[in-house]
Amino acid sequence: MKVVGPEEKVKITLKVNGNVHEVEVEPRRLLVHVLRDLGYKSVRVGCDTSHCGACTVMLNGRSVKSCTVLAVEADGAEILTLEGLTKDGKLHPIQEAFTEHHALQCGYCTSGMIIQAYWLLNENANPSEEEIREGISGNLCRCTGYQNIVTAIKAAAQKMRA
Amino acid sequence: MYPPKFGYVIPDTIDEAVSFLKEHEDAKPLAGGHSLIPMLKLRIIRPSYLVEIRRLKELQYVRKEGGYYQIGALTTHYDVVKAGIPLLSDTAARIADPQVRNVGTIGGSVAHSDPAADYQAALIVMDSSVVVYGPKGSRTVNFADFVKDVFTPDLKQGELITEIKVRDFSGYRWAYKKLERKAGDFAIVGVAVLAKKDGDKVTDLRIGLTAVSNKGVRAMEAEKVLIDRTPTEDLIERAAETVMKSIEPPSDLRASSEYRKRAAKVLTRRALTELLR
Ligand SMILES: Cc1cc2nc3c(=O)[nH]c(=O)nc-3n(C[C@H](O)[C@H](O)[C@H](O)COP(=O)(O)OP(=O)(O)OC[C@H]3O[C@@H](n4cnc5c(N)ncnc54)[C@H](O)[C@@H]3O)c2cc1C
Ligand code: FES
Ligand code: FES
Repeated sequence: MKVVGPEEKVKITLKVNGNVHEVEVEPRRLLVHVLRDLGYKSVRVGCDTSHCGACTVMLNGRSVKSCTVLAVEADGAEILTLEGLTKDGKLHPIQEAFTEHHALQCGYCTSGMIIQAYWLLNENANPSEEEIREGISGNLCRCTGYQNIVTAIKAAAQKMRA
Repeated sequence: MYPPKFGYVIPDTIDEAVSFLKEHEDAKPLAGGHSLIPMLKLRIIRPSYLVEIRRLKELQYVRKEGGYYQIGALTTHYDVVKAGIPLLSDTAARIADPQVRNVGTIGGSVAHSDPAADYQAALIVMDSSVVVYGPKGSRTVNFADFVKDVFTPDLKQGELITEIKVRDFSGYRWAYKKLERKAGDFAIVGVAVLAKKDGDKVTDLRIGLTAVSNKGVRAMEAEKVLIDRTPTEDLIERAAETVMKSIEPPSDLRASSEYRKRAAKVLTRRALTELLR
């Protein structure tokens, strides 16, 4: 059993996009803040109340809202953020589809939206429009009205199956 | 928003978790954290320690045995959806949004005892029970008795929920109807229905509601309207009307009491029509 006192810090290891980071954190530190401090600025705080999905990252293969996960909970975990989707300067098919289909305006929701789309397409390679809408129901966009996002995810799914 | 300071414990076994919780009055177990962490951020609670039970593998399972499903307390909503349990899986699919379902657990939801939690509607009609483990060993409580009041489970300090048990309702038809203000929100009203027919006749019917009282309620009077009868539009209407008359829902930010009553009637009618007609 491991016990960390209320005034103590704890050393944790996070594997983010393949990079291993060792950091010392207070148990109360939220994962979103630790990731941003490490330089993963695609991970954003929108609502800070688990509703908007701007802070969505992949944690051990499942999408989560990192504003509602403690950094200590993620000790030893594999994390994927938007930065990790781009390989050798080449955009991921979902990122390409978002640009091609104008699926963003201000861009604040976009990194969370794309990670959530990534999770969704892992789960379901050929989602219907309804399944896409349900799949991104935890991600709010105040600009686009969602239509182009849905179109982009559909196009990305098609590209990725090809 | 930052949570207040707390200590953090990672136990290797359930027994270590139980004894630490028992010895520390205001320590709290941390499962998915999707009710706990929002409460910490709002500083509604200030526990001395969080005891991370989330990773205890021995509490993550779904088994089927002797006509019952046994669900480990740390099974996520996502895994409940995947388990294909009559009524319960479809109910879990309506909780919040995918990210929340990826993390939140059934044990955490039952322990939290939110009167608007979706599971409340299903569990109240599924002959469910809750297995509790603590310093004095294990005990099993009927779900209907386990939730005592709003946010008040039958748990003493040091006790953990280890399992939720529900009857296997294969052979029934079921539906969970949820009315929400916006996608991913808690229910304004949720209605879970299990129905069995033999020929034209209804042989069993169970109607459970969430968000209409201090805990999940079963509408027995309404069930009686249809049991042993051949369902007609009139009888369904009467059953839905009976549901409406049998509840005194609270008014809150999401809806007024009057609105909830009418919504409960409409959702019941829709579920019954879909299942019986
Ligand atoms: C944005 C958002 C939307 C949501 N919408 C819905 C919704 O529509 N419908 C719905 O039903 N729920 C909803 N929820 C709640 C969600 O389902 C939670 O996951 C669930 O209520 C709590 O489960 P948890 O595993 O996260 O528990 P935690 O937050 O870890 O724990 C909750 C409480 O239970 C205690 N506890 C946890 N596990 C145990 C155990 N095994 N034994 C004893 N005590 C335990 C904890 O100490 C704490 O007091 C929502 C949550 C969020 C953040
Ligand atoms: S910042 Fe995490 S859900 Fe909005
Ligand atoms: S593009 Fe502005 S919030 Fe989505």
